[in-house]
Amino acid sequence: MTLPHGHSGTGEFGAALAAAVTLAALAYLAAAARLRRRGDIWPPLRDASFTVGGATLVYAVNAPLPGGPFTAHMTRHLIVAMTAPLLLVLARPLTLTLRSLSPGPTRGTLLAVAHSRPATWLLFPPLAAVLDLGGLWLLHGTRLLATTHHEPLLDAATHTHVLAAGSLFTFSVCQLDPVRRRWSLAVRGTTLLAAGTAHAVLAKSLYATPPPGTAFTAADLHTGAQLMYYGGDLVEAALAAVLAAQWYSATGRAHRRRGVRTPASERATHGPTRRATP
Amino acid sequence: MTSEPTPAAPREGRLQPRRSLAVCALIGAAVMAAVDEIVFHQVLHWHHFYDRSTPGIALLSDGLLHTGELLALVAGFFLFADLRRRNTLAPAHARAGFFLGLGGFQLFDGVVDHKLLRLHQIRYGVDVTPYDWGWNLAGLVFLLVGISLTVHATRHAPDGTART
Repeated sequence: MTLPHGHSGTGEFGAALAAAVTLAALAYLAAAARLRRRGDIWPPLRDASFTVGGATLVYAVNAPLPGGPFTAHMTRHLIVAMTAPLLLVLARPLTLTLRSLSPGPTRGTLLAVAHSRPATWLLFPPLAAVLDLGGLWLLHGTRLLATTHHEPLLDAATHTHVLAAGSLFTFSVCQLDPVRRRWSLAVRGTTLLAAGTAHAVLAKSLYATPPPGTAFTAADLHTGAQLMYYGGDLVEAALAAVLAAQWYSATGRAHRRRGVRTPASERATHGPTRRATP
Repeated sequence: MTSEPTPAAPREGRLQPRRSLAVCALIGAAVMAAVDEIVFHQVLHWHHFYDRSTPGIALLSDGLLHTGELLALVAGFFLFADLRRRNTLAPAHARAGFFLGLGGFQLFDGVVDHKLLRLHQIRYGVDVTPYDWGWNLAGLVFLLVGISLTVHATRHAPDGTART
């Protein structure tokens, strides 16, 4: 009844992921500590975000999760594809790495990769959304999910893709780290709207129609689908809050630059040279 | 505009009634959507989470609307905070906008979602007519309150700012 198709822990993949995440978290904490000793400001909240993100990721992949098999699968999906990537991205790992590495070949290579053409393309938010949501639809709309239950290697590959695509999507929508091409709030917000819609539609479809080749009970299916729907809402609201907070601080800076005559100049089309003399 | 220096505006700027109204209408609509979701889906269990007969296009519009409401609530909150920060919030217009949003969403849901798209009904297994009347009339009342508040706010606009 609980551990259905031996899908609760994912064996070697889970162990490898745990090792990788632990190493990454240690490296992160060490780099952040070095930055602070140097006198840089690096909010401790980011350390916490990275650590908690990594820990939930490892937990979701290795521990048996509550509920029926489909509900457990959805919990895992919510953590691996959405929550953990958000927490990891909020910690700005690329910024930290670039700041902590001293100028040299390693830093140069990393910067070259981050600014390369393929990376720039992948970080185009709609493309990242298609890779993320497309994979999700493929997993639940075809026999892929049923097949992963018998093929550990495929299962590991699926988890890796889900994590990578989720991180790519979150990274491109939040745009907190320095990359070459900056996308406007409108592009990122619209992408978030479209991705949220696709997620909601898929959740409701799964409520009625299980993934092909699987035999989940109706109660399990209903719980899992609603978990996907409302859990997705929470993460989407968090992503929207990240975007809105960026807008809020950017307009705040703009108001301050404009000095005293703040609000009236909102709509007025004045020349750029006019100067406020109090 | 050229020589006359604008009277040194104090910390607070000119009120922005139109923006206050729009932002609060956005919040009102999103709040009503959230109330709908929480009360009828989660508390009363009147709505079905998913009605098997729902056609694909209705499912898509439902997902779009649901995500849109969620993003609108977050955006509305930050836009409201921005108005407050700059002291440009016009309170009377804000109240009016909130009611316009509440009523506007409710009527939209009642007419477009329930009747035109037939996305979901208020309650299943019973005669839905009284529920429809109740829902739509309540929406209409909110909307009328919003309209009268808007008229009132515009008439009694402080310092006679013409642009509402």
